[in-house]
Amino acid sequence: MTIPEFTPYQIVVPLFSLLMVAYAWNLVLRQKKTIWEGGLWTLFWSVVAYISIVPSSLQYLSGVTGIKKNENAATITAIGVIFFVLFYIIMRLEELEQRLTKLVRDKALRENGVVEPETRKM
Amino acid sequence: MRVCAVIPAFNEATRIGAVIRGARQYVDEVIVVADGSLDATAQVAREAGARVIIHTENCGAGAATMTGLEAARRLGFDVAVTVDADGQHATADIPRLVEALRNGGADLVVANRFGRKNIIPPIRRFANALGNIVTFLVTGIYLPDTQCGFKAFGPRALLEVQLRMSGFEFCTEVIREASRHRWKIASIPTKVVYSEYTLAKGQSFANGLKTAAKILLRTFLR
Repeated sequence: MTIPEFTPYQIVVPLFSLLMVAYAWNLVLRQKKTIWEGGLWTLFWSVVAYISIVPSSLQYLSGVTGIKKNENAATITAIGVIFFVLFYIIMRLEELEQRLTKLVRDKALRENGVVEPETRKM
Repeated sequence: MRVCAVIPAFNEATRIGAVIRGARQYVDEVIVVADGSLDATAQVAREAGARVIIHTENCGAGAATMTGLEAARRLGFDVAVTVDADGQHATADIPRLVEALRNGGADLVVANRFGRKNIIPPIRRFANALGNIVTFLVTGIYLPDTQCGFKAFGPRALLEVQLRMSGFEFCTEVIREASRHRWKIASIPTKVVYSEYTLAKGQSFANGLKTAAKILLRTFLR
């Protein structure tokens, strides 16, 4: 029996995927993600891990998209990473928006007498 | 059971008075959240007998709804019914929604505009179908009308709900909250009246797509 030789990419990506899946289920356990979201997240990272271990599985996609060379794949990956970072920044902006909303809400409830000044959270 | 109506409103001075008068017949108190309105929404709402909470800035329908729900639970209400301020919902259906909470054992009741013979423009039907699909993708729960603002929160749901999305995407977030906390959901057919005014005030199709993208993004990166 021969042990298949893996490239570093084929080792790092599945491990990273495993880490992301573990992170997702940790969020599920802490009730920050739903079980459904945990499942979707697991599916996505499983596909990523599978593709990294069995690159030939992308042959069909390669035929459709015309991405055949490793350089092209790297470019596509880079674009994917940039999108991920961009989306992450959008999320952080949304968090700031949420903080602003919370300030507006606290002020509105206080002014209406729904929240007493001494009971509000600091 | 103490019941209140929560009405998020942005520049609805011409409509909100009638909505409040309609709702007051079926609830103990009407809470209006004037969401950075530039017209006389707050004044009209006060004159119609509502408790008015004023957002100094326009934060969006989701943020205003959450402010109303927060006020409802702090004021000790057991049930909160959210109603749109533009008059598209039949406030006479409030007792049916509350009944589903009281006797049906539901934690959340979502009105279904497609369960009755209502005149709904095709583009609205299509946009709502898309909203239902997106909601199913992110929550795993399929309901016939997830994007309806006419909802009733029972004691448990009112206590646990925590909406973070500010805009119209809050409708999907409510269903997500139901999934997260495992609330029992009921769907009740309701009457809806679309007019030129309500259609102009509602979400455009492009805005709906933006909302869908935001929901999917947030689900994935949460």
